[in-house]
Amino acid sequence: MPEHDAEARIDQALVVRVLADNDRLAFERLLRRHQGKVRAQLRRLTHGDDAAADDLAQETFLLAWRKLDQFRGDAQFSTWLYRIAYSCFLQAHRKKTLPGSDEIDDLAESEQPPTRPSGIDLQLDLERAMRRLSVAEQEVLLHCVQLGLSHEETAYVLAMPLGTVKTHATRGKAKLKTWLATWQSKPREELET
Amino acid sequence: MNDPTDDAIDALLRQQFEGSVADDGFSERVMQQLPPRRRRIAWPVWASHLAGVAICWLSLRSSPLLLAGWRDWASGSLSSAAVALLIVTAGMSLLALGWSLTEADDHRP
Repeated sequence: MPEHDAEARIDQALVVRVLADNDRLAFERLLRRHQGKVRAQLRRLTHGDDAAADDLAQETFLLAWRKLDQFRGDAQFSTWLYRIAYSCFLQAHRKKTLPGSDEIDDLAESEQPPTRPSGIDLQLDLERAMRRLSVAEQEVLLHCVQLGLSHEETAYVLAMPLGTVKTHATRGKAKLKTWLATWQSKPREELET
Repeated sequence: MNDPTDDAIDALLRQQFEGSVADDGFSERVMQQLPPRRRRIAWPVWASHLAGVAICWLSLRSSPLLLAGWRDWASGSLSSAAVALLIVTAGMSLLALGWSLTEADDHRP
């Protein structure tokens, strides 16, 4: 946690420098510190459409530059960026420029749950199982587990009530556990390879 | 205590996540697109406030309504002048409240 706090203090100091001195270099440092995670978040949300994800990431940072004076420090800077990125993704999604939730749901219905571990790689099964989850469950697990945010931070990013986030996280994990149950009987070494 | 299967699922999900994306010139491209930062100038807002207050005062100074309203309000009698003043004050407060709420909403990213 102290490392986390130190990172937050560095971000805060950089934000102050940008606002006070209009310091573009300080913003560039913020950008370099956070671009990797924000782009990873967007790549996941766009289901691997790297070009679209990078366009959205660019839009996210341009918005952050314009709205930086609205960052009050009540959330981590990275969480604030994730929230802007998620809003940009939703807007693009509504304009139908990205794979829609209907498509994702269709995919979810058409794909069969992984049943036999033999011959199928666990990561592939996990990918397929993830796609069978509802969009909300996928998004909650992405932020809570893969991006390492707390439930509260996830609720802030997704603009979702905290209870709903917890429910989606529990349900999503329970479904994955069921669908991947066949792997549990496999030897541990095999799972780790 | 966490369920060990939950931990295993968490570990698998983290393993599946590719993690941070390498920069590969992304930051440079964004920096080139960055528009000049507009500084908000505060003095026109304050000057407008002061001008508004001054104009109000000048236009109401000669009217007995304002003074009578204040006097009646202070003495607790609900004359028409006091009620008018009350309505105007309440209206202004509601307007300010609405403005503040809108501003607060705009400040969310």
